[in-house]
Amino acid sequence: MTKTKPISHPFLLLLVLIAHAAMMLLVILSFGITPEVIKLACIVLTADFVGSIILQIVQREACTVDTVLLLVIGMSTIYQSCFGGLEFATKHFIFSVGAFLMCQASYLVTRNPYRAERLKPLWYFMFFALVAAIRFLTGSRSMWIDLGFITIQPSEFVKPVFVLICASSIRTQLKKSEYLGIHFVPDNLLLIFCTAVIAVLQWWCRDLGSLPTFLAVAGLAVMLRFCYLREKISVRLIVFLGLCVVAAGVFAWKLAPAYVQERLHSDIWSDMSGTGYQQVKALTAIAEGGWFGKGAGNGSLIHVAASRTDIVFSTICEEWGLFTGMMTVILVLFLPASILTVPPRSYYHSGLAVGVAAVFMVQMTLNIFGSCNLIPFTGVTIPFISQGGSSMLASGILAGFLKAAQAPVLTGRRTEKGES
Amino acid sequence: MAERQKLQRPPRPVLDISAPRSMRRAGKWTALILTAFIAALIYLGYTLITESSFYMAKSGSTTYGIVCDRTGDVLFDGSQPLTNYPAGQFADVGNLIGDTSGQMSNTVVAKHLSELANYSFTYGNQAGKAKVETTLSHSANRAVFNAFGEKNGAAVAYNWRTGEMLVCVSRPCVDIAQGYANLDSMPSGSLLCKAFFPTVPGSTQKVSTLLAAYEAAGVDTVNALQFDCTGKWVNAGGDTINCHQAYGHGTQDLVHAFANSCNPYFAQLVQSGIAPLSSIIGTYTRMGYAVNGEKADTLSLDGITIQPASTKLSDANNFETQWGALGQGKTLVSPYQLMLWQGAIANGSGSAVQPYLIRSYTSPTGEVTEAPAHGATPQFFTAAAAQGVKDVETQNATDHYYISFDGYSCGCKSGTAQVNDDGREYENSLLAGFCLDDRAPVAFCILIEERQSWEISTAQIARVLLNAVSGIS
Repeated sequence: MTKTKPISHPFLLLLVLIAHAAMMLLVILSFGITPEVIKLACIVLTADFVGSIILQIVQREACTVDTVLLLVIGMSTIYQSCFGGLEFATKHFIFSVGAFLMCQASYLVTRNPYRAERLKPLWYFMFFALVAAIRFLTGSRSMWIDLGFITIQPSEFVKPVFVLICASSIRTQLKKSEYLGIHFVPDNLLLIFCTAVIAVLQWWCRDLGSLPTFLAVAGLAVMLRFCYLREKISVRLIVFLGLCVVAAGVFAWKLAPAYVQERLHSDIWSDMSGTGYQQVKALTAIAEGGWFGKGAGNGSLIHVAASRTDIVFSTICEEWGLFTGMMTVILVLFLPASILTVPPRSYYHSGLAVGVAAVFMVQMTLNIFGSCNLIPFTGVTIPFISQGGSSMLASGILAGFLKAAQAPVLTGRRTEKGES
Repeated sequence: MAERQKLQRPPRPVLDISAPRSMRRAGKWTALILTAFIAALIYLGYTLITESSFYMAKSGSTTYGIVCDRTGDVLFDGSQPLTNYPAGQFADVGNLIGDTSGQMSNTVVAKHLSELANYSFTYGNQAGKAKVETTLSHSANRAVFNAFGEKNGAAVAYNWRTGEMLVCVSRPCVDIAQGYANLDSMPSGSLLCKAFFPTVPGSTQKVSTLLAAYEAAGVDTVNALQFDCTGKWVNAGGDTINCHQAYGHGTQDLVHAFANSCNPYFAQLVQSGIAPLSSIIGTYTRMGYAVNGEKADTLSLDGITIQPASTKLSDANNFETQWGALGQGKTLVSPYQLMLWQGAIANGSGSAVQPYLIRSYTSPTGEVTEAPAHGATPQFFTAAAAQGVKDVETQNATDHYYISFDGYSCGCKSGTAQVNDDGREYENSLLAGFCLDDRAPVAFCILIEERQSWEISTAQIARVLLNAVSGIS
């Protein structure tokens, strides 16, 4: 079996530098060479360089996630600095750096699956602590904690913790308990309980936007566990589960609150100045941008609420064009897709990686397709692209899980046995 | 180093067997989600590109092109003030063609904003050449519009051979060049095209009832039927059906009863059971009526919606049912649908050539796209029934409309509809028919509201229409 020679780390980082330099050239074309442009270029390119040095020193093996992360957060900083006119997005950049550091930190914590598994009681504690914080510290039916100088969205941090809860080792799955003659895995029961807690909490907060993300993570975790427990998945079981999901969907659809029903059935073009305002503006902006955009800083969508967060895809498309917007989305996709080229090395890490993929994919789906009126519009962010400190840091933690899933801590065993 | 060795030691033997398989499945799940997302992303890109003109048009972020008739005469121009055109240029087509003000939603402009937008995803906004060419004849339309004089109503005509809509008039009509400053003082109905809205059909409904009878009992059987008319006829339920001829028409066959538009004759036809009520309902349903509250398909003319006909038929002995089969009571039909059926009668097949209004679209860059072929409507009724009614209508036109239709080979059925409009009672005059001549192969329907006997007749307007459309190629 021939082994593909991996692309060298320095070469990938060179590509990052070239991509950012090309974007800066476009910025120069729009704004000319101004002090603010020079500042932006220096910061982004220096960050690339420093990040590369750090990665070369600290961790050289798992380079895919780091490289993509450097590329994406640099692009994101350029986007956010140029929206509606050039002004360096200091806050966004700081959180981007924070996300990069969070990625390294979470990687260190989870690269050892056995240790991460042993820390599960801590993850449960953090989960319930965050849930309690949302319930008791946030404002009335809100997901935000206002500390005066900064606002925190604890629900964003629930996501990585929930992914950690959903990941499970085979050893844990083999620990069965019995009660009243029924055999069950305690960890699975806890997973279902935590999912229910999240659902109730989101319902209480009147913020169902993130619920699909949690349900997707939990659903995939359940499927992975079935995958382990049965060598061949029963078709009947899959059909049964599918029917359960459909029934639950129909049930939720019927019971959804009035404001959700309104979003499910509203026609944005008949209420362009009301409920459909943001989406109409977002779609029009994409149309105005065309293939290659109006040019950095020349967009007008910036004057619409949530242009840097919930409808950021449209804001990018307006200024940089649909082509660049799509490329940006595909670049973010490289993060979860990286586990296809460098597969996870343990069952626990498989669970982590699939959970992260679910979070990233569902969030992007809700954000992009919601703002483009293909599905109901919800206020969720695109990982690393949208503005928002809590989201950025939480995404960084999740990226660290991906990196951990690719970290070669167990490769020795497989190599010794002659597996490749 | 010790920690690394510890990590490399397999915890349990069973893990070595199961874990790789489970992990591969994790990869498959991820691949599945990625594939679904990328497929959705491709769909999104396609949608954004193809719908971008609509987004720009609806949000008013672009200029609009023109709508013109079959000769290039402008019916709407979104690129410049309409006041630049001669006074009255748009007076006869305002509520059909519409404009971009948003005041009317069921018009050519409102339904084709995307095609009219001077925008393309690749080239962006431009002073483009976007154009929608219709099949209308503006000169014929204006002639028919003017023929109404001060009267209100509607007139609609299409080429039953090709499906081209030639005339569509609705009075009163908003003049889009004048704007909407005097919206409150505009006559009621100025902003809608009455040709597309159901109204009481009066005796033109007898065409539908006759078609149902022909289908159920055969043309010869029905033509041989004779019923007596004394001016009044008491049905099985004890209710009286009056004839417009106070002294009655005496004993008559179908051809004469049709020409006389004799209510007692057709009421007896319904009650006789020659055509069972279930058959009548079946024929009506195929023709597109919403019978007894059942849902009927909404008709569409290149995106413009037309409300379907409706009626209530519960019992053949019941007054309401008989009255409905005579075109009164709960029966409502749009002039457009009456015209459509006449098209299916004129060609003798029972299925009409589908009418269309849009001939071609021109993109902002000047590329012309012909409208796709429209095909035929569903089979409304049998060819035998269509041929039977065609003969009766032709006979009717020959015997009673020879002055109006002199020189043309036509068939028609007139009607007088008793309308109760929120307590205000009046009579509308209708005429539905067709012309078989090669120079004007049209099916048409004329509606004059609140017509008095000394005022212009539907047949006179039909004559103007035929003259106006003659020779149009």
